[in-house]
Amino acid sequence: MLELPQIYAENIHRWLPELLYYSLMTLKIGFFSFIVAVVFGILVALCRVSKNRLVRTLAIWFIEIGRGLPIVVILYIIYFVPPQLFPGLNWTWFSDFTGAVLGLGIHGGAILAEVFRSGIEALHKGQREAAMSLGMTPAKSMVYIILPQATRIVLPPVGNYAIGLLKDTSLCTLIGVNEIMNGAKSIAFSDYQPMAVFILVAGIYFAMSYPLSLLVRALERRLSTAQ
Amino acid sequence: MTFFQILEKNGWYFFTTLLSGWPATLTVASGALVFALIFGLVIALMRISTWRLLRWPATAYLEFFRGTPALVQLFVIYFGFPDWGFQPSPLQAAIIGLGMNGAAYISEIYRAGIESIHRGQMEAALSLGMTPIKAMQHIILPQAIRTMLPPMTNFSIVLLKDTAIVFSIGVLEVMALARQLVTETLTSAPIYLMAGAMYLCVTIPMARLAARLERQRQAWQ
Repeated sequence: MLELPQIYAENIHRWLPELLYYSLMTLKIGFFSFIVAVVFGILVALCRVSKNRLVRTLAIWFIEIGRGLPIVVILYIIYFVPPQLFPGLNWTWFSDFTGAVLGLGIHGGAILAEVFRSGIEALHKGQREAAMSLGMTPAKSMVYIILPQATRIVLPPVGNYAIGLLKDTSLCTLIGVNEIMNGAKSIAFSDYQPMAVFILVAGIYFAMSYPLSLLVRALERRLSTAQ
Repeated sequence: MTFFQILEKNGWYFFTTLLSGWPATLTVASGALVFALIFGLVIALMRISTWRLLRWPATAYLEFFRGTPALVQLFVIYFGFPDWGFQPSPLQAAIIGLGMNGAAYISEIYRAGIESIHRGQMEAALSLGMTPIKAMQHIILPQAIRTMLPPMTNFSIVLLKDTAIVFSIGVLEVMALARQLVTETLTSAPIYLMAGAMYLCVTIPMARLAARLERQRQAWQ
């Protein structure tokens, strides 16, 4: 334990730039899968509150499966299964990065769908009725009346999801994406310094996620006083 | 061979092999849950303590373990601890790692549960001459359990799903066996789908249970 500072003093000028380079990939996966998750989340939430029973049931299935499966299993299914099920198609575009983004995005979509639904349902029914009685179509009242107000409610849980997502990107190393954990593994085992390297990696993740969690907490406080 | 031909030929073999991974998955999950339940209570009590020397380390622990991925924590414990002279087995490392990670999350459930009990309860217990520990043990925690049960169930689901990453440190659980089967038979689709279906068979009923407990709690209040 005592020699850790010395190990860092000797090696950090080599390790840190390399790990930071890999962490760009982590941020890239996080960013793109967040967008995919939000898009999926909104679509599935709208299907979940739809009047059509088939659409609603499909949405419920998506949510139950997306939340019930471990993320690793989703990543493995998304990345390995489709090319084998449909070998005739052209899969050259389907990289580990695409698989990672899609897998994390689907899992996030299931989580966010429930968040968005509770946001939509938290609003008083009267809002929608008022909008409809003003002659808005259901789609218009959703876009102009319901969603803008629901956004405020869902912002803190979406922020918490983003923090979780940033940490979950570490699982992409298990399907071989070259992100920070992958880089850390190769450095740790080539330099025989697993403890020092993995603690450094933990520090980098913390440096990325902690500001985000402070931001979410500030947001939570502001929104709760605003109400 | 098509998907269904493979399934017909090897399906039973896949099923029994994957099933033999469940004892390890459940051992890790329940071991880590017990670890997290005990250690999380310690962290929660430290966090609500009036003594800064207890509060600050607990807060630091919480922020660190919630701010870093469980996978990194597992790697530090499994690959890093041997540097310091402690060589855990994969199973030990998995239970300690997921347990320490879970303690951070579960301590917040405890804290919310304890804080949901009216202050007057604690004051009344203290004025009857109970020590703070006795009051916690006999008055506060028994009442807080009802509030804590639904989130604890949800947390158990999360923990069970998190065990799917421990194959990366060499525990022979469901995902590890799935990967072995894939290398062995050079077919992936039926195996991973079957593994996924097995997880769903456990997690979906648990989620239903959590939802029911939550409804009961709301009805009770």
